Amino acid sequence: MKTRIAQLAVFLLSVVFVVHGQTTTPAPTQQTAPPAAPKTFLKVGQPAPDFTLPDTTGKKITLSDFKGKKNVVLAFYVLAFTGG
Amino acid sequence: MDSSPANKRFAEDIAVTFPLLSDWKRKVVKDYGLLDDKSDYLARATFVVNKEGIITSIEEGRTAVDPTGAYSACSVFEKKKATTP
Repeated sequence: MKTRIAQLAVFLLSVVFVVHGQTTTPAPTQQTAPPAAPKTFLKVGQPAPDFTLPDTTGKKITLSDFKGKKNVVLAFYVLAFTGG
Repeated sequence: MDSSPANKRFAEDIAVTFPLLSDWKRKVVKDYGLLDDKSDYLARATFVVNKEGIITSIEEGRTAVDPTGAYSACSVFEKKKATTP
């Protein structure tokens, strides 16, 4: 299993809501259920949208640079690593 | 959308061996359909992309946290590799 993972370039995109600055708190009687998480419009078999993002060292990483070279796992993690 | 400095601290804490990217401007989550503009709500998801740049697996919601689906998708690559002369 580890070997399998090691053969992949794995991206972990941490995504966090920025809740700072949201000062209004609804009254208990006005609270509603949180909105459902959005569902991606992308489908298996479609090309993955290309992107370029900085890593932790500032180096720009581009998805298409791995084309023809490596399989890639993209993990989008919301509210994963910081207090946001 | 953690910042690069926040990601760096996290990467050091757990000694990650893969690139940890920051989508601070939320462009990529939008391109991948994981951002609801109206509610400002974001979703967790895992995509497996093959060498041709094609999406071969998508895990969303709670299952996206569990890497089992991604492992399964990757095992397909391994099988193809094993059968390719």
